[in-house]
Amino acid sequence: MVQKNIRNFCIIAHIDHGKSTLADRILEYTGTVSKREMAEQMLDSMDLERERGITIKLKAVRLTYRAQDGEEYILNLIDTPGHVDFSYEVSRSLAACEGALLVIDASQGIEAQTLANLYLALDHDLEIIPVINKIDLPNADPARVIKELEDSIGIPGDEAVLVSARTGQGIEDILEHIVARIPAPKGDIEAPTRAMIFDSHYDQYRGAVAYARVVDGTIKVGDIIQMMSSGRKFEVSDLGVLRPNLVRVESLGPGDVGCLIASMKDVRDTRVGDTVTIASRPATEPLAGYRPAKPMVYCGLYPVVNEEYTALRDALDKLQLNDAALTYEAESSVALGFGYRCGFLGLLHLEIVQERLEREFDLNLITTAPSVVYQVVLTNGSVMEVDNPASLPPITSIDHIKEPFVTASIMVPDEFVGAVMDVCQDRRGVFVNMEYITPERARLEYHLPLAEIIMDFFDRLKSRTKGYASLDYEFMGYRESKVVKLDILLNGSPVDALSCIVHQDKASSRGRGLAEKLKDVIPRQQFEVPIQAAIGNKIIARETVRALRKDVLAKCYGGDISRKRKLLEKQKEGKKRMKSLGSVEVPQEAFMAILKVD
Amino acid sequence: MGVYVHIPFCAQKCNYCDFHSVVVGDEESFSSVADNYLLSLRQEALYYRKIWGQEPLDTLFIGGGTPSLLPPDKLASFILFLREELPFVKHPEISMEANPHSLTAEGAKILKDVGVNRVSLGVQAFQDDLLLAIGRIHRSEEVGGSVLALREAGITNINLDLIFGLPGQTNEDWVKTLEAALELEPTHLSCYGLILEEGTPLTTWVNAGLVEVPGDDQQAVMYETTCRMLKAAGFEHYEISNFCLPGFRSQHNLLYWHNRSFIGLGSGATGYIQRLRYRNAADVDGFMETWNEGIPYYEESATVSIEQEMDETMMVGMRLLQGVEEEWFRNRYQVSYWELYRGAIEELLQRDLVEYKEGWLRVTPTGLLLENQVSSAFLR
Repeated sequence: MVQKNIRNFCIIAHIDHGKSTLADRILEYTGTVSKREMAEQMLDSMDLERERGITIKLKAVRLTYRAQDGEEYILNLIDTPGHVDFSYEVSRSLAACEGALLVIDASQGIEAQTLANLYLALDHDLEIIPVINKIDLPNADPARVIKELEDSIGIPGDEAVLVSARTGQGIEDILEHIVARIPAPKGDIEAPTRAMIFDSHYDQYRGAVAYARVVDGTIKVGDIIQMMSSGRKFEVSDLGVLRPNLVRVESLGPGDVGCLIASMKDVRDTRVGDTVTIASRPATEPLAGYRPAKPMVYCGLYPVVNEEYTALRDALDKLQLNDAALTYEAESSVALGFGYRCGFLGLLHLEIVQERLEREFDLNLITTAPSVVYQVVLTNGSVMEVDNPASLPPITSIDHIKEPFVTASIMVPDEFVGAVMDVCQDRRGVFVNMEYITPERARLEYHLPLAEIIMDFFDRLKSRTKGYASLDYEFMGYRESKVVKLDILLNGSPVDALSCIVHQDKASSRGRGLAEKLKDVIPRQQFEVPIQAAIGNKIIARETVRALRKDVLAKCYGGDISRKRKLLEKQKEGKKRMKSLGSVEVPQEAFMAILKVD
Repeated sequence: MGVYVHIPFCAQKCNYCDFHSVVVGDEESFSSVADNYLLSLRQEALYYRKIWGQEPLDTLFIGGGTPSLLPPDKLASFILFLREELPFVKHPEISMEANPHSLTAEGAKILKDVGVNRVSLGVQAFQDDLLLAIGRIHRSEEVGGSVLALREAGITNINLDLIFGLPGQTNEDWVKTLEAALELEPTHLSCYGLILEEGTPLTTWVNAGLVEVPGDDQQAVMYETTCRMLKAAGFEHYEISNFCLPGFRSQHNLLYWHNRSFIGLGSGATGYIQRLRYRNAADVDGFMETWNEGIPYYEESATVSIEQEMDETMMVGMRLLQGVEEEWFRNRYQVSYWELYRGAIEELLQRDLVEYKEGWLRVTPTGLLLENQVSSAFLR
């Protein structure tokens, strides 16, 4: 297919504005999948993704469409993840496109992620086609959304397409707009090959599969390709396009989007953002924008029983095949024994990995409270990165500590501006800017410590704004900060896995809150368990889990024997999910308790 | 070895009770249901007679529901039937449960004549407001009369069932209940901490915050009060919730705590025969229908492996304050419990929940109140 008949586009939207449903309808309308064979929301293939309604891994689907001008077009739809943890992946899939459908819910209007994604798309010079979705709903107000578009983004309202992805209304309009307005790719077929990887996944039989957009030149089956970041070479065994099932092709030319199989062992060989070239005639310059995924949040993952340590390592190995952003290294804790320190893009990424480990690999895990990476400047001038509170050096050798900050953008109806300011203030936020998108909707910009964001920030924000606030943030840099280590002692002994790093001004309230929370989650045991929170040698809070007085069944006769057995087995099962620290049985949620403290 | 018979009929449901029973209608309709039910029980007994074989039966326990609700002559002829058809020893312990409200002197006499020699009275408390709060049909003043009637009939082995931890009950209320019970000079006392069973009205009310019951800590205090007072009154504390004058342990209940076989008869009854543990469906009509066709109607039945039985023998045996004798266990299973559970036992010893003396493993006073932790240690 010649480039002039190719259109590469993606769909960007705030969460729940109907991106996946719209993609489904487009697939259906173009006959890519029939209604019958379509499981709801075709592009979200993992169970977890479906349950959470979030697309984690992006994929590309090739559609063919005969337009009203009589010509046949190839439309490559590139899916993008909708969560802030995966913003780098979003940026790479945008870079693979020439245009974007900006989906806005006709009743919700523009949200924080709508804007964040739009700005990203504009950064990549994409042609924007605004799509106002859910116009069939009774509370839809397209006129208001059009006004928001004009006022806040400066897009003329008549460019917007009104659709209902649910009923299929307006889908053909969208396709015509795509053909008419999104520019065709303009690659150089003669130039040395350059293709950008925008996604990858691990396949049990094929190894890593890369999804790439060819910019210049051609890739053919049998070519020896080279990854420009690592220099590693692989022979291309298969090329394909997704319709949405894999259809083999012999070559991919400029403007094409497809997948590439080349006996690569795991996804670390196919880094998102990397440039693929041909080894025999390599390009001199890689495509712009590659950066290796860098974990922002760390936590310890420990098996509840030590025997599962090897199983945990094998499971992490397997997950990493498909997740280049996941990092892990062995660590040990006095309290928890042997485990792994794992790095994640964000909290959602952490939760997904943790859930997959427990569900798919049947592991019983303890997750320690997530921590950001602190830069600790020592008195000797050297800088040390600390992602685990337990490895913070002694206070005497620390000159100062820096913590990561983000620029957060929060959109909220006017009446909740005060509430948002309260929450941000409380979380050590520094006000930067406030603007009104419309007279009723404000966008606030704050600088916030990332450590505060991962402490249940979004939930708090949501609850203070009746669910209206939307949030987007990006890493901005490190700032000096007065943080201290908060230790927890159970039964008089410090538990390293319960330590956390908190801001000095918050230390005593967090310490009290954490001790109270632990008192609630630690079950009563044979002996009373004192819980203390300490900073250095100073005890700042104390609570006691009182001793268990009675754990006995009053009656046990003939009919109760199997009943009692079942009951005790259930009790025992619950106990298995707890960690024995000395003589204290501690449930898993205790290690995450700090996240639930104000 | 023994026989348990379940009589699932009550004049009204107590709101804490989750035992299987149905509320009976007027006298006439109940009389015909009772006849049919007793007929089905006979059929069931004959069915198990074949399977059971000739092993002698030393106990018969008629529980409920409210067995005393049955016309005494009908129950008496059923007891005679069982004694004739099943291999009972010459002088079995025959116990039955009775509600003070429905027990009469004549009734007691009739039952005594067919061998009933132990009666367990559902007393629960001696304060009418507490009885009212839990939906009991009887009043405290009726208890004295019942005891008297039993003695007149010649039944002197009398147990009183009592409950502590009732809604609004104080430790003082409980002490008064114990004193009143002792005054009646029973041979046996069962003192149960209230269990909030799922699905009962009381549990619903407590969960909804409409009713308050003493918590575990208060129950623990009441329990300790019980042990102290009954010991002072000359009672032997022989099982977690059971106390008796010397020589008056419930032989039938000991059978459960020794994890022995027993035939269970009746709707909702359980039995344990040749390591098959079965539970009849709790369905009176269904029970009568299926026994018309001569087949059992199980809700569940499963064969217990020998390993599982050993675990369960320890689990229930540790409820007895004397504990489980090493030699007795070894004779029964040809293996020492030390060999099977050494790690678990050592941990319990270290936690001071059990002690091992002169060949007996038993709970300590601490272990008594944390008995679940002791018995669960024996589940492999």
